[in-house]
Amino acid sequence: MFNEVYEKRRIRSVYSPVINWAKSLPESTILKRKSEAENLFKKIGITFSVYNNYDTSERLIPFDMFPRILSKTEWKKIQSGVVQRSMALNAFLNDIYNDGEIIKAKVVPADLIYKNPAYEIKMVGFKVPKKIYSPIIGTDIIREDKRNFKVLEDNCRTPSGVSYMIENREIMMRMFPELFQSLKIEPVENYPEILLNTLKSLTPKNCSKNRNIVILTPGPLNSAYYEHSFLADMMGVELVQGSDLYVDQGITYMKTTRGREKVDIIYRRIDDNFIDPITFDRNSCIGVPGLFDSYKSGNVNICSAPGSGIADDKAIYTYMPEIIKFYLGEEPILENIKTWRCSEKKDLEYVVKNLKNLVVKEVHGSGGYGMLIGSHATNKQISHFKTKIKNNPSNYIAQPIISLSSVPIFNKKSLSPRHVDLRPFCLVGSNSVNLVNGALTRVALKEGSLVVNSSQGGGVKDTWVMTE
Amino acid sequence: MLSRTAENLYWTSRYIERADSIARLLEVAYRINLIPNTSRTQNEWTSILETSGIKDEYILHYKENFKKDKIENFLIFDEKNGSSIFECIRKARSNIKMVRTAVTLEVWNAVNSTFHDIEKFSEKKYSSRDLPGIIDFVKSRVNLIRGTIQNTQLIDDTFDFLSIGTYVERADFTARIIDVKYFILLPSSNYVGSQIDNFQWTLMLRSVSAYRGFKQTYGNNGVNHMNIIEFLILDMTCPRSLMFSLDKINSHLTNLKKIYKKNSKAEEEISLIVKKFKKLSAKKILNIGLHEFLLEFIRKLYSVNSNLQNNYFFGKEK
Amino acid sequence: MKISINHKTTYNFSSNVPKLMQSIRLYPSNCKNQKTISWSIKSDKGMITESHSDALGHKIFNIYNKEIIGSQTIISKGIVETKDTSGVLKGLKEKVNTLCFLRDTELTKACRKIDLLSKKLSKNKSNEILFCHQMNSVVSQSIKYISGSTSIYTSASDSISQGSGVCQDFAHILISLARKNNFPARYISGFLMEENGNAEQATHAWVEIFINDLGWVGFDPSHNKCIDEGYVRVCCGLDSLDSSMIKGVKTNFNGDENLKVDVSISNCQ
Repeated sequence: MFNEVYEKRRIRSVYSPVINWAKSLPESTILKRKSEAENLFKKIGITFSVYNNYDTSERLIPFDMFPRILSKTEWKKIQSGVVQRSMALNAFLNDIYNDGEIIKAKVVPADLIYKNPAYEIKMVGFKVPKKIYSPIIGTDIIREDKRNFKVLEDNCRTPSGVSYMIENREIMMRMFPELFQSLKIEPVENYPEILLNTLKSLTPKNCSKNRNIVILTPGPLNSAYYEHSFLADMMGVELVQGSDLYVDQGITYMKTTRGREKVDIIYRRIDDNFIDPITFDRNSCIGVPGLFDSYKSGNVNICSAPGSGIADDKAIYTYMPEIIKFYLGEEPILENIKTWRCSEKKDLEYVVKNLKNLVVKEVHGSGGYGMLIGSHATNKQISHFKTKIKNNPSNYIAQPIISLSSVPIFNKKSLSPRHVDLRPFCLVGSNSVNLVNGALTRVALKEGSLVVNSSQGGGVKDTWVMTE
Repeated sequence: MLSRTAENLYWTSRYIERADSIARLLEVAYRINLIPNTSRTQNEWTSILETSGIKDEYILHYKENFKKDKIENFLIFDEKNGSSIFECIRKARSNIKMVRTAVTLEVWNAVNSTFHDIEKFSEKKYSSRDLPGIIDFVKSRVNLIRGTIQNTQLIDDTFDFLSIGTYVERADFTARIIDVKYFILLPSSNYVGSQIDNFQWTLMLRSVSAYRGFKQTYGNNGVNHMNIIEFLILDMTCPRSLMFSLDKINSHLTNLKKIYKKNSKAEEEISLIVKKFKKLSAKKILNIGLHEFLLEFIRKLYSVNSNLQNNYFFGKEK
Repeated sequence: MKISINHKTTYNFSSNVPKLMQSIRLYPSNCKNQKTISWSIKSDKGMITESHSDALGHKIFNIYNKEIIGSQTIISKGIVETKDTSGVLKGLKEKVNTLCFLRDTELTKACRKIDLLSKKLSKNKSNEILFCHQMNSVVSQSIKYISGSTSIYTSASDSISQGSGVCQDFAHILISLARKNNFPARYISGFLMEENGNAEQATHAWVEIFINDLGWVGFDPSHNKCIDEGYVRVCCGLDSLDSSMIKGVKTNFNGDENLKVDVSISNCQ
């Protein structure tokens, strides 16, 4: 496990001013600031919804005040790696929904794409505006050691968490202005502006002069609703629900107090299946009947494009290095985690023999369903999984049990290390690819835990990229 | 503005106003409670349920068990009562949460923190001793929210929809309060000038927070039914009078007409009502019949309201 | 054969429909097996607009409707000239990779009884066309044709368990069996012209199976044969729900809907 602060007991230089500052804070100040921060979050309404069988309640996402810090050099590598990946992912999507060159070249097996339910048949051959399928990509990155940052997962559909990146910074700046005066930290507040410009650049074929952009949300019960309203607010665009929109004669409108207004670009935060009950899930009541038709007629753009999800499928992930080479002719800047594909005979043999030391994932699953963590599993679970893998090997991949790097949190009395990951957000427009100098750091608050998800006891940290 | 946004703004204000009205009713009840006359007090409690239009609901849940604590809790915290203060504030917040981006951060903070604070109150077991504190809290928070809206929002259509919600709710509430007790305002020889009359009239004025205002306008000796009718229905200077609310609704609907450069049925109707009101007097109202007059008024207000919804909330497609 | 078709769908609504959007795939496929001599789609309510052609070669039309009271009738009619190509689909412009039709859906998932059907087949798949005929014939005997015995939500496994079904169910079972044996297969909705035929089967469903040397070949398991000049191809998809000719979504409607389909079909030579 890599400790980001200490290197052989010496404090690494990027962290030294902050460690000294943190250690000089009296306990009472820490506690006071902690509750201040919590009040700020509550006041602004930064919450996420939690569901159980009975009702929905709102919770605050735990925020830790000790920042995650990256040097400019470290960041530059991450940045260029994420940009490279995002361009490759879009090129890949464009290819597989049109000519399928990468499949013809036998770089990626045809079965993996065409038999995959995430490959949307209704999108085949459609010319997506500006050839950008996934304009907002969240890449989950872990740090292995001093040099190596590796990609754990790509999120091409509707990655969330960017509002925390911005709000965490806002709160840190309010509470510890002195740090921001003395240290040179890259700002992140320009994200909404870049997002707006990115969306603006993705005009559909038939588009009014004043491009009308909206964010489509499932509604206030969605766990990321705060983020949806935050982004709408910061970009100055309307936050709409399905019922606010309708399609007439192939044109998408929103209902306003002045009458109807044409909508040109939709940043949707609802899943493919719910976009349009006439084309996809007929039981969806959060979608807009006819929206897909309006999209295909070139009257509105839907970002990200339906069917983008194929690109972040776990089975595709294992081919990312090849995908990058195929489209960009470059070596990947950020490596993947070592992954065994059970579809391949040699890999399968290895996986079955070493289940105890591996994490096995179902390829189409997401969010930890159908997953086996070998080190935490009973013998019975392992043998059960063994049969499952052998019956349908192509449905599984395996990875070593990875160890996330650690950064301290303010624990009751002292600083204690906890595991973290990193999610930068890449914005891909028609002529530019951008990454603000910052990211979301998620932290597992339980000692030793590797689970950073907010729904399972994870928290967040402000992430600093130093200017020099 | 999205049609739904307009609707959410309107309901935010209505619920806030309703919470305020109920707090004022409770305040009156609290005063009565300090006067030692049990039989009258009993009546007062049921009539509060009646005034706030939830007597049937109360009976549905608690039968005819009109206990003070129970009624207080029903009016303040009970989730079974869709119009309890807590529910009103919760609904106001969930409406404004849907349109977080349409209001200033300050307005959102004012509503959101009010909700979180009253949530804290609600977690404790209710005791009658807390009543004055809760009433003060609600009244001051409502004023804070209103003030924040006044001071931080642009005076644009957002402000108009917020305001219309407030005054539609207020006009409706005042009309109902008068109607529940309309008989005490009738010139019946039995009661005129009696102690009971005076007490009842005072209560009515207090329940819309108009007692001091009335005294200032008519002096100590002016307490009679004609003056009260005049004051609560027709007096433009009294912020709880029907006329005051009508005039406000009228001016905000006129603003909307100007902003959107489009006539609206709601505006046409309200301006007719205002015109008619200007020609009225307490005497004329009594000639029509106070109860009949109020019923007709509520019906008309309802019609204005449904036209408002048709004009702005349902997203007319062309 | 010149076939004249008149397809009439009538919806009766118990109350006012505030808003209704319909997506219609009711235009005969543009391929060499059939030539559309004339075709029209009309609705007595709302305006029909042509939208786009999708990657499977469907010409898609839409109807946007407001405030429908009572009923709505959609009539598609015209004349199609067909050719017998021994079942082989020719000249359809489509862009979807055939492997996509190896995917299972809820309606076509295999079950134990379908596994058993599969075991009846010969082990040798080298003659693909022969193998497909065998699958078709096995399926044609797997259930009894009983009209009205299933609904649009009945899956292959449901109908094979109950032992009966209609053309839709025969098609689902064949699709399931074909995919299980690694043949891409898809559901086809269309019309069938039969001398003295069953009027109920004038709107018909069958299956296309992809055979490496031939391409897509149409098999009709409810008649145990390859499709011929009596068949007019309209719409295709992964299963019946994915291949419906008319899809509609009503907004803010609380009433009931009653659907009636009338088809008249005749040989006009």
